[in-house]
Amino acid sequence: MHYSFANRRRLFLFLMATPAVLYVAAVGLWPLAQGIGYSFYKYNLLRPARTQFVGLQNYIDIFSDATTRKAILNTFQFTFFSVGLQLVLGFALALLLWRDSRFNRAVLAFLLIPSTITPLVVGLIFKAMLGADYGIIGYFLSDAGIGPRSGLLTDAGTALWMLILIDCWEWTPLMTLILLAGLKSLPGDVLEAGQVDGATAWQRFRLLILPLMLPSVFLALTLRTMDAFRVFDSVFVTTGGGPDDATNTLMLLGVKEGLQFFNVGFASAVGNVTLLFIALIATMLLLVVRRADVRINGK
Amino acid sequence: MANASSSMVAAKPTTIYTLAAAVVALMATASYANSKPLDGVTLTIASMNDGFSNVLVKLAPAFKAETGADLKVEIMDYGTLLTKTTADFIGDTKGYDLVTMDIVWAGAYAENKYSVDLTDRVTRDAAELELDDIYPVVLKSLGQYDGKYVAFPLAAYANVLAYRKDLLQAAGLKPPATMEDLVEYAKKLNDPAKKQYGFVANGQKGPAVAQDWMQYNNQLGGSIVTKDGKPALNSEANIKSLAVYKQLFTEAAPPGAIEYDWGGREESFRQGMAAFMQTWSVGAAAYSDPKVSNIVGKVGIAVAPVSKGMTPQYGVGGWGLAINADVDKSKQDAAWTFIKWVSSKKIHKEFNMLGAGGFMRKSEMTDPDLLAKYDFLPVIAETYEHGNGEFRPRIPEYPEIQDLLGTAVNSVLAGATTPKEALDKAQDAAKKLF
Repeated sequence: MHYSFANRRRLFLFLMATPAVLYVAAVGLWPLAQGIGYSFYKYNLLRPARTQFVGLQNYIDIFSDATTRKAILNTFQFTFFSVGLQLVLGFALALLLWRDSRFNRAVLAFLLIPSTITPLVVGLIFKAMLGADYGIIGYFLSDAGIGPRSGLLTDAGTALWMLILIDCWEWTPLMTLILLAGLKSLPGDVLEAGQVDGATAWQRFRLLILPLMLPSVFLALTLRTMDAFRVFDSVFVTTGGGPDDATNTLMLLGVKEGLQFFNVGFASAVGNVTLLFIALIATMLLLVVRRADVRINGK
Repeated sequence: MANASSSMVAAKPTTIYTLAAAVVALMATASYANSKPLDGVTLTIASMNDGFSNVLVKLAPAFKAETGADLKVEIMDYGTLLTKTTADFIGDTKGYDLVTMDIVWAGAYAENKYSVDLTDRVTRDAAELELDDIYPVVLKSLGQYDGKYVAFPLAAYANVLAYRKDLLQAAGLKPPATMEDLVEYAKKLNDPAKKQYGFVANGQKGPAVAQDWMQYNNQLGGSIVTKDGKPALNSEANIKSLAVYKQLFTEAAPPGAIEYDWGGREESFRQGMAAFMQTWSVGAAAYSDPKVSNIVGKVGIAVAPVSKGMTPQYGVGGWGLAINADVDKSKQDAAWTFIKWVSSKKIHKEFNMLGAGGFMRKSEMTDPDLLAKYDFLPVIAETYEHGNGEFRPRIPEYPEIQDLLGTAVNSVLAGATTPKEALDKAQDAAKKLF
């Protein structure tokens, strides 16, 4: 049997792609499908005999239960404010570090240190510093009557904001790095033309830099939003979701249900809802950036 | 010469064979004499990171010398232990032969048949185990569920009251005889200006605050479940006791106590911040250790007081040793040998001399060596005499109930809700579990 060159090429490419396809199917698609399947069951590994099909009940519970609703709201609040702040601070820092000098390179290297520390350790460090009884910051704040007496991480009004600040401390440098890479790749001639034409610094930023930076901003926002939405480690070690449910997040809830109570059905539903939210946010970001691109660049 | 030589050659094979046979026989006998019943067996224990875990590691060579079995102790924190062992049980992966079982896991172990039912073995070896020497409350709550042994007691703890002798003396007070006294004295001894507080307990959301409150709740007459095992989280007595707990936190605890777990609570007491603390007896020895304690010689240990008019009943907790039901019969037998060995009078004394802090035999309470090292043993003995191992319900639904209480009590301490609202909400959620 004779195969044409095109067919042989197609077969060759198909065979080359097979390992990757199999890998994705085995570690990505199959578990995802399993997770979706489990989410329709009341299924607890500790009580397997009581497993029953409950349809969409787990999803209804997620949106009807006050604790879960609070976790969803907290996750959105955390993501919105921490990523928003990181974008503003990160952009400002990237602009400051734009000029290629030895000093700026050194500053950038030091600036990246927080992002190299694992979030769990960051959480523990801040918890130790903010504690009202022994913390190097918390002790003096509590003594001076600034903030809640029991410490900033233990009050329902301040705990989530502190977690947002901790996240900003850790991840703003990464945002800076991504945006700085974007700035460095901007076409120099366009910016020089703007300068020659007498545009002010603000005009150059608003009319030249910002439009050209949209792809980098999109990348930074998408990466950080996906990450912030899945926040777990730093919250787990600092507040454990408390006080009350003030800092409970979707991942915290999912991990607790899945790995502490082995409530596989409900935990899968929480995981799927988280995934769905992340996909929606990413799509929304894409649309917003594309629309801005069309508006500003006219394409 | 040649003759002599040839006669030697002629005699050699027989002599050599005889000698060789003798040597082989001798070696075989010696090796048989040296062989141990569990040679070549390795027992893996999943152990909670607690006072006893490193002691188990220290005892492993002695167990090997006696039985031939190697003992591999994997030490992990509470959450990891629960997750890893449950995954091992569910997946039938036989990763662990023995598991340290928290008293409150007994219901889940029994319902899911995670561990070998040891009832027949305990009955068969009752004399060897010297069961009469072990406190009944320990045997029941650290080993049994519904009359069957899902584990065998390893390290029992008594809930006791640790207090600052110097502060009480200075204020002209005696150790509190009732919970009402405790509350009153804690408030009296509270002096935030001097960073001296009246009381400290766990406030951190989750198991920490749930378990500590359940101790106080027990002594104030509350109960988490009804007599027939149904949830009663929002009973009148529980609501009242939670209000008392909140009052103690507001009026007598260090400001950061709301985020304390066991480690934070103990540290705060050892640093000298608090006058009273209820605690498991396992930590008591550390108050006299100048390396970690600022209050050496200033601490008294007493039975934890109950409410005025209540029949004394004191909290008992601790760990049992369970045999993984998935492992094969020979491993089960080897594991049972270890259980008998470690809980025997002689080894268990050694276990506690090495600092395990898990006293459970009556003979240990009067042992001169142990008494010389731990002068609070009579308090533990009295606690066990009137012990209650059920104040944290040992039912399969316990982990979820503990979580609900962990959130409810923490939210009350944080001022986010009232005791009644919080416990009503927890009760509604708890009912769905049954």
